[in-house]
Formats: sequence, C-alpha cells, structure tokens
Amino acid sequence: MQRAIEKRGIPTVSITVALDVTEHIKPPRAVFVPFMMGHHFGVPFHKELQRRIILDALNFLATTERSGEIKMLPWNWAQARQEGKLIEEQFRLKS
Amino acid sequence: MSLQYLKEAVAEGDNESLIRYVRLHFGDGNEAAGAKEIDKAWIEALKLLLDVPKTDREFILETLAEKDAATLAHLFFHLHFYFVERSGEWIHDGRV
Amino acid sequence: MTAESKNVENDKQQLRTGLWATVNERYPGSMITKSDFVALAKSKKPLSESRLTFVSTAGVQPKGSLPFDTVHPIGDYTFRCVPSDSKPSDLEIHQLKYPTSGAERDINVIFPIERLQELQAVGLIGELAPNFFSFIGYNMDAEMLERTLAEDLAEAVEAEGSDVALLAPA
Repeated sequence: MQRAIEKRGIPTVSITVALDVTEHIKPPRAVFVPFMMGHHFGVPFHKELQRRIILDALNFLATTERSGEIKMLPWNWAQARQEGKLIEEQFRLKS
Repeated sequence: MSLQYLKEAVAEGDNESLIRYVRLHFGDGNEAAGAKEIDKAWIEALKLLLDVPKTDREFILETLAEKDAATLAHLFFHLHFYFVERSGEWIHDGRV
Repeated sequence: MTAESKNVENDKQQLRTGLWATVNERYPGSMITKSDFVALAKSKKPLSESRLTFVSTAGVQPKGSLPFDTVHPIGDYTFRCVPSDSKPSDLEIHQLKYPTSGAERDINVIFPIERLQELQAVGLIGELAPNFFSFIGYNMDAEMLERTLAEDLAEAVEAEGSDVALLAPA
C-alpha cells in the first residue's frame, strides 16, 4: 500500500507496532512504537502523546536518506498507559 | 499466495487444510476456539427453533431458489457471525 | 526476529512478538515479504505548506457507509473515504482483528483525526486532503491486495493532490 503511493511520487511514512511485519514488507519509511496493536498513537485522551507521534513520523519523513529506514521512537507503553490514567483521573476531577 | 494455497487444497481434496483454515477464520487464529465457535452458532440456531415458532419459509425457499450459490455462501458466513453474536459470547476482540 | 530488533532494550520491543511468523503460520502465504526497496519520493515542500492525507487499515468508516465485510473468508478489498473534517462521533469501526479497547473510548489512538485537524489549525501541517482513507487488514489474497486495493487507493490519494501521506497499518 505504502509502496504503491510512494511509487506515484508522494512521500509516505508509516507508524508501526509490528517491527517484524514492517521488516518483511519494506515500506519506504516507518517509525516503530512499542505499543499494543490497535494503539499506534498511544492511549485514550493523551493528546500530547498522540500529537508527538504524528510529528515524530512526519519529521522523520523529511530526514530519511535511504528507502526502508525504520526509526525506533523513544516511547514506552507502560509509561504511556500510566500517563493516560493520570490524564483520565484529572479529567474526571474537573468534570 | 495464500489464496493459491487454499485453491490447491481444494484441487487436491485436502480437506484437513481447508477445515483448519475455516476454524482459524472463525477462531481468530485459534483452531480450537474456531471449532467451538461453529458449535456455538449451531446451538444458538437450534435454541431458536425448540418452541417451533412460525418462520418465514416462503422467504427461505425463495432465497434458496433465486440467489446464486456464492451469495448464499456469503450469507452463510454472515449467519455464522450473527448467531455467535446472539449467543452473547463474543471472542473477536483482536487479542487471540 | 532480526538481530537488529533483538538489540533494542526490553521496554522498547514489539509487544506482540513474532507477529509475522504467527500470522503466516495460520494463514500460509498471506503475509507479504519484499526483497527490494522502492525509490524514495522527494518532499517538494515543507510540511507547513503541504497537503497531507492519512491512510489507515483500522476499518474506520463514516457512519452510514457500507460496513466493511468482516465475515468474508477471503477478505474485503474495498476502501472508504473518510472526510478529513469528520468528528469522531461521525465515525465507526468495523473489523475483528485488532484490539479496539482504546479506540472505543478515543478513536484518535488508531485514527488521530482530531490531532491532525489541530496540527493543521496551528499551521504545522499546511492543509488536510479532503479525504482520509481506510480499509481492513484482513485480506487473504496478498496478490489481489497489491493489484487492486493498493492501486485503487494510491490513485485516490494521488487524485486529491496530496504532497505527503501518513499511514497506520493496524
């Protein structure tokens, strides 16, 4: 999919939680996050994390030098979940 | 090709591979779970007929007579998931 | 798992390990392996002047559109256009193969449409393409996927004049 878009001259970047699958498929550019399947942009209501992951991916797009590069993003799942819980608690306190 | 693999199994009459595939499909990648799911769907269908309620047999006979076999096959897959959902025990949460 | 991925620290590892091998064992031949790399397309503009589209395999679709065919044993090779100005309440998910526990509470964890709208509003992204695109990841026929769905979708992306595409394969 990503390869088909890139072949039409449109630069692409994907966010993956399955490094092994990405290594097989060899998309032009990908960033890896060690998150649960179906949670590529983190945890519910953690807007800042969701935003940062998008920007990390798009910034990587501008700097990739060779096709197939995969960048490991520095996020970690346990911490993301913890922060998500905190955000939800604060949200509940406010409302 | 995976589809190729299934087509070869059909050509060779390799029913073991085919039933394994059907169970994997219904069991979200778990054969034993898939076999149980098939049973669950039939039990659910059976339960609905125990009191011999009035059913729309005309619709059934018309559908069988007028629709092509592929559409009926597709409907069969839909019915499986319909009855599984009715059973109240849904395993398709992507975690298997 | 390759040597490269083994070397990363524990907390940075893939949570669901051996996914490619597991799926390929269950559905022989359904997983794609490529031996070559496609040439990189060049970014023509900075992000703040680019039109961006988003492509997802998460089975997200506008409410009221024909639900993805999640029961078909061979898969669904169609895609849905999701207007990029949609609200989460306009959307629903039809798929069976990944956990939606997070997405049920906040769809942005898999389809970050509000975050993309915000990034556009503050000017970090130039503009959003009229539509984002979505399909489901359960497709047994890898050859058909590449020949039809991938090409149809790439054509739709190109037709909307996108300068850059962000993808999230669920």
